[in-house]
Amino acid sequence: MNKLILILAIFGTTITVRSQKTISGQVLEKDTNTPLLGVSVLVKGTNTGTTTDFDGNYTLANLSGDDILQFSFIGYTSKEVALEDRNTINVFLEINAEEMDEVVVTALNIQRNKESLGYSISQVSAGEVNVARENNVMNSLSGKVSGLQITQSNTGVDGSSRVLLRGITTINGNNRPLVVVDGIPISNSSGGAGGSGGIDRGDDLSDINPDDVESISVLKGAGAAAAYGSLGMNGVILITTKSGTKKDGVGISFNSSFSFIDVALTPDFQNEYGAGAFGDFAPINADGRPVLDYPFSWSWGPRMEGQQYTNWLGKQESYSPNPTGNPYKEFYQTGFTISNSLAFEGKNDKGSFRLAITDEDGQGIVGNNTLAKQTFSLRGSSKLTDNFIVDGKMAYITSKVKNRPQLAEGSGNTALQLSLMPRDIRLEDVRNNTVNAFGEEIKWNLDNTFNNPYWALDNAGNVDEKDHFQGFISANWEIDDKFNITAKSGMDYIITDFISYGATGAQAVQNGLGAYNHDNDKSNIWNSDILGTYSTNISDINITLSLGANYRNEYSSYKNISGNDAKVPNFYRISNYKNSFSSEGISKKAIYSYYALGQFGYGGFLYFDATLRNDNSSALPQANNSYWYHSENMGLLFTKLLGINPNILSLGKLRGSFAKVGNDTSPYRTQAVYNVDQTVTLPYTVASISGSLPSFDLRPETSESWEIGADIGFLKNRITLDVTYYKTNTTDQIMAVPISGTTAYSSKVINAGEIENKGIEAQLNVIPFESENFSWDIGFNFTKSNSKVITLNEGLESISLGSLWTASVEARPGQEFGTIYGNDFLRDNFGRKIIGNDGLAKRGDRIALGNINPDWYGGFTNKIRYKNFSLSSLISVQAGGEYYSYGRGYRLFFGTDERSLVGRENGIIEEGINEFTGFENDNATSALLKQFTDIFSNQIATDIILDATNVKLREVALTFDFPKNILRETFIQSASLSAVGRNLLFLYNAAGDIDPEATYSSGPASTAFEHSSLPSTRSYGLNLKINF
Amino acid sequence: MQTIYKVISKTAAVAVLGVLFLSCEGHLEDLYDNPNAVTEIDDAALFTKAVRSLYQGTTDNGSSHFAGMYAHYYVAGSTWRAPDQYGDGHDQDYNSIMNEGYSGTIRHIEEVLELTSKPGTQNNVRYALANIIAVLGYAKITDGYGDVPYTEGGKGKSQDILLPKYDPQESIYKDLIMRLTNSIGTLKTADPAMAYPDSDPIYNNDLEKWVRFANSVRLRLAMRLRYVDAGLSRSTVSQCLSEPLMETPEHDAYMIETEGTGNAWFNRRTGFPSIKMSAFLINQMQVTNDPRLTVFVGQDSNGQFSGIVNGLTDQAFGNSNFANLSDMGLALSSPESKLYIMNAAETWLLRAEAALAYDEDPVQANILYRKGIEVSFNQWEVDATEITNFMGSTIANLSGINDEEQIGVQMWLALIPNFFEGWSHIRRTGYPVIPVRTSDDLSTGATNGIMPTRFMYSSFELGANSTNVQEAISRQGANKIDTKVWWDKN
Repeated sequence: MNKLILILAIFGTTITVRSQKTISGQVLEKDTNTPLLGVSVLVKGTNTGTTTDFDGNYTLANLSGDDILQFSFIGYTSKEVALEDRNTINVFLEINAEEMDEVVVTALNIQRNKESLGYSISQVSAGEVNVARENNVMNSLSGKVSGLQITQSNTGVDGSSRVLLRGITTINGNNRPLVVVDGIPISNSSGGAGGSGGIDRGDDLSDINPDDVESISVLKGAGAAAAYGSLGMNGVILITTKSGTKKDGVGISFNSSFSFIDVALTPDFQNEYGAGAFGDFAPINADGRPVLDYPFSWSWGPRMEGQQYTNWLGKQESYSPNPTGNPYKEFYQTGFTISNSLAFEGKNDKGSFRLAITDEDGQGIVGNNTLAKQTFSLRGSSKLTDNFIVDGKMAYITSKVKNRPQLAEGSGNTALQLSLMPRDIRLEDVRNNTVNAFGEEIKWNLDNTFNNPYWALDNAGNVDEKDHFQGFISANWEIDDKFNITAKSGMDYIITDFISYGATGAQAVQNGLGAYNHDNDKSNIWNSDILGTYSTNISDINITLSLGANYRNEYSSYKNISGNDAKVPNFYRISNYKNSFSSEGISKKAIYSYYALGQFGYGGFLYFDATLRNDNSSALPQANNSYWYHSENMGLLFTKLLGINPNILSLGKLRGSFAKVGNDTSPYRTQAVYNVDQTVTLPYTVASISGSLPSFDLRPETSESWEIGADIGFLKNRITLDVTYYKTNTTDQIMAVPISGTTAYSSKVINAGEIENKGIEAQLNVIPFESENFSWDIGFNFTKSNSKVITLNEGLESISLGSLWTASVEARPGQEFGTIYGNDFLRDNFGRKIIGNDGLAKRGDRIALGNINPDWYGGFTNKIRYKNFSLSSLISVQAGGEYYSYGRGYRLFFGTDERSLVGRENGIIEEGINEFTGFENDNATSALLKQFTDIFSNQIATDIILDATNVKLREVALTFDFPKNILRETFIQSASLSAVGRNLLFLYNAAGDIDPEATYSSGPASTAFEHSSLPSTRSYGLNLKINF
Repeated sequence: MQTIYKVISKTAAVAVLGVLFLSCEGHLEDLYDNPNAVTEIDDAALFTKAVRSLYQGTTDNGSSHFAGMYAHYYVAGSTWRAPDQYGDGHDQDYNSIMNEGYSGTIRHIEEVLELTSKPGTQNNVRYALANIIAVLGYAKITDGYGDVPYTEGGKGKSQDILLPKYDPQESIYKDLIMRLTNSIGTLKTADPAMAYPDSDPIYNNDLEKWVRFANSVRLRLAMRLRYVDAGLSRSTVSQCLSEPLMETPEHDAYMIETEGTGNAWFNRRTGFPSIKMSAFLINQMQVTNDPRLTVFVGQDSNGQFSGIVNGLTDQAFGNSNFANLSDMGLALSSPESKLYIMNAAETWLLRAEAALAYDEDPVQANILYRKGIEVSFNQWEVDATEITNFMGSTIANLSGINDEEQIGVQMWLALIPNFFEGWSHIRRTGYPVIPVRTSDDLSTGATNGIMPTRFMYSSFELGANSTNVQEAISRQGANKIDTKVWWDKN
């Protein structure tokens, strides 16, 4: 209601009388004389104005000689010209790189002046993602945008990344923001393995070619994203790709990068004790080899002093430390990425086009893990008539990734093997002894999980191929200068083909029988929009009203065939397997929506936006399948309103936003069905019921969010500060709550629970120096985001969001989302451990031991330019947050970790109180028993909860722009060469030898767990850009 | 004229919008249905699923990872043997064992019970058969944990009960027996065409065998009550004896599971974690020259029968030469090996115990005891001369001194490979006597070296169904692995 009063108040303005005069002219780009389309021509102090047409022409009537015209356009310095007695005014506008930030791409690809927005938005330009290039463009955003948290998992080339905008709002959803490329929402699911193993097949965001990116807008809150409906609930990342409209004539640009990838961080290994247990060698088996079962296959043997012993292969050998202290450095190699991109672009008065080809090849630190990816994209627009433009794009991305590495507890995880193998084993022996005379894998430990890493390298693998089509066609009909209709239809179509196999002879692979698996998946997201926009000025009020409709269709299907028991060795086709199985499934969902948008601007200092949208989803029961949401945003430029001297306080804006968003769910959760089972055991029909109970009256979930913020600029915007406080409450969450197994079901889909997510974001930019030859630009961004579980379903104490071994990350009422639970030591009232007579600590209760959420995180960027050199760096910071490292736990009780050296010779006297006497414990126990009992037998998590605080030098780029005077004689228009490095080193890492980002998946709670991750990597290389 | 055009165009616009809206609504409805499954099915398919789950349950986590080692049949290799050390750090296992119990047999048989008692699909015969399967499913769960949800258990779908209350084991057992009695009553006079002519993996719709089976299960449950409710036990036993029981291996309830790479025992003999047979078991059979030794136990690498001692400490285990010891016998651990939920031998031995306990008739008990041994030999196709030899030995006759123990030991052997039942049997009768672990080489775990007597309620269950499970704990005793279930008095 208050808003309404304010609007009414704004109408109360006076109207001045003017003399009649008509002005026309042309607006051109300075230097190139290119006509500029869409330049805003405004009569100063009024809202009267127009925009230039395709030839840069404009006409304005009803003016007086006292009027001043303001010419402004995205990316150009604005210009003011007094009319005086002229009737024609031609204007040349100069390109202004700094002005670029002022106009941003907002929801539905509407370009707007950042000043007018009532919500927080961050824009990242092409240079920030395509110089220090990453295979996954999202990784380049890490640390650069407040509110955006990117965690790049350590899962081999083309791995997935965890992407969160303003933290977590829903318990069951993947919480990933919507990614929209050129107006078409694309597939964005997380990837990764589970704690028990598997591989990370990457996410589809890695198919966005950094070389094709023009700009990236990050719409952080629901207020900014409400036009996307429920899809935008977790914020939106809008990617605009290059369209060829910036070039005149025919231009060619070439971008080439090469970088090395090498191992940056490995666990600290001890190199003093080898295989055995309790300080002794393992007993020797009948086959002459030592007992390879626990604990003798661990590194708790005698000190390695060159004495003779029987090694793991049964050979007499000198028992001495490994010459190379670190098996990772020996096993993993230096990988590389090479990328070449060639783009042809052009533009004339009838249209524009851009054709680009990118080829990317890479090899990971595991030698057979390779990537080959080609991207072809064609973008063109044509002006069919004066007021009708068609635009279209087709991109085809084809990629082939070989041998994505196995992760976590997976039997083929090379890092797991290398980190646990007894320290006396020489990797050379392992490499040279993979298969025995019977064709069986030669193992160092008989457990299925622990294997010969070279056997896996030689005999197990996978091929992941993807064909990805993205495209759209759109038409824009400008009916008159006030009314405009745009229609757009686009799709994101992905076909993947995945084969994995394992040879015969390894127990871990189907008991030695060999295995084969072939998946074929298709997914298609098809979006169609029609949007009519009417703009007008009523007095000082600038009004834009839009009505739109959207139809979205999601389709996915899978087919799987798998087999075991190979007939012929090393042949991987389904016909070669004695047992074969198959399965298939499809999933379809449609949503159609209607929406209305309104923007009101008053006097250049007050802006108000509203959105109203109705979605209808096939995933919800008919009675509840239609739902509404709305958003209201307001921006007030108080510096303009109050007439504050712009030389000191150059920008002052207060903004506020409120949004209510609904959300549906994945299909088929509201119907009770029977599955028909495939079986060879029984000749009868066998049917089964899924463990997840459906809900027959599921309602959409609702999230209400508001944010307030300020944008302040000092000294001609040499210092700018952008601060936002936000709060989102998501209620009626649709979730599959885990229920007691005694119901005969494992979960039930319900509407329940509430999560409150709130936080503060700030971005500060300072330009201490700026001159023609030298400039220095410093940026800080800061985010503090907390998600608290207010309620869960009644009677439900906790929902597990994931678990590893016996630690779990949970949502519990009253607690922070993502609290890590695990067994603690048994303690007395003073917190002292209770120790048994055997000198071992006792297991206590399961308690909260940490939380995945950082206290805050942020980035610090520096850009220094001196003449033709520029140096940029990015340091990212995460303060606080914890994770559970079962990798370290394993290394501790296997005795390979440096920390396991404590108490080797004389035992460990655990600090604590004897359980019977109440006195200080003085019974020693062996270090082996302590580690094994605490971590494995008693499953105590306390000692392997690690602090995730870290400061990382994430990016450094040194660029040399070739001087124009050198290039003048050549056909090259511009060229630059950069030396770039990414993830170079930790400036601080609380956990020491483990990368807190080294997760094995990219789901919302994935940062809770580390398990024998591949070593984290850094990359460094060169990037060359040439424009012809 | 113009107004007419306006009306027409407005009507057309409304009509187009209307059609658009309706077709959208229709489109959403079309997509609503799950294309990967069906919404209606003959309950026969669910019955088959439930029955199959019951057999698969004989190799599940609770049976193979815990009961088989607790009952000293074998020891698994590597860290998989941890339960053999009597520890209680198995929270996830305790949860998965309970879930497996309810999600396989119970989930599907509850649906069958629902369908066969509902107007339209009502069928008394099928309902009676389903009850037998439900009884077996619930009996195993309560035997493992003690008090468990029963009247409200397994009703997540049929009655929307998400926080089921726990029932005392006593009331569960009484109801299970009653359900069997009702089923037997129905099935004696039932028309097989009304049963499962094409969906019965146990007896191929032979209702006479089903009656024997149900009655034998009732006998098993009745004897379970021997030490806690002798009155009900005795009266139920006499009821059982008045109806046909399982008598020959033809009456055995078995199934062969060949899915995937074969049944669990085959996989554990050929792969990881390898299982080696218990020294306790091998010793028992060697001392008595039991011909089933070669059936149950494979030869070691020296052509001998050598077993692994249960409960070794980590250090002692390392020195045990584990890898070279005797595997499980091929008859038990081949892809075509049968999985049993009940056999005739067990029935004879239950009758022998009943004769001794309730009829105080050692002569009859001895006849039944010998019958039990012989039927077990027949089940495993032991050579006729070997049968004759063994039946002539002293062990094949009750001595009158330790008859209970003799019957108990034979029962333990006859139950193989139904290891879960073997563990329940030892808990109830105390036979064979599993020695308390005192040697330095042996782990005493969380029980001071005494064989664990139940599974713990998992921390997940304690969180997910807190009030009800706490009530059960306060009634039953501490949530520990050495708390005894209601029927366990030995």
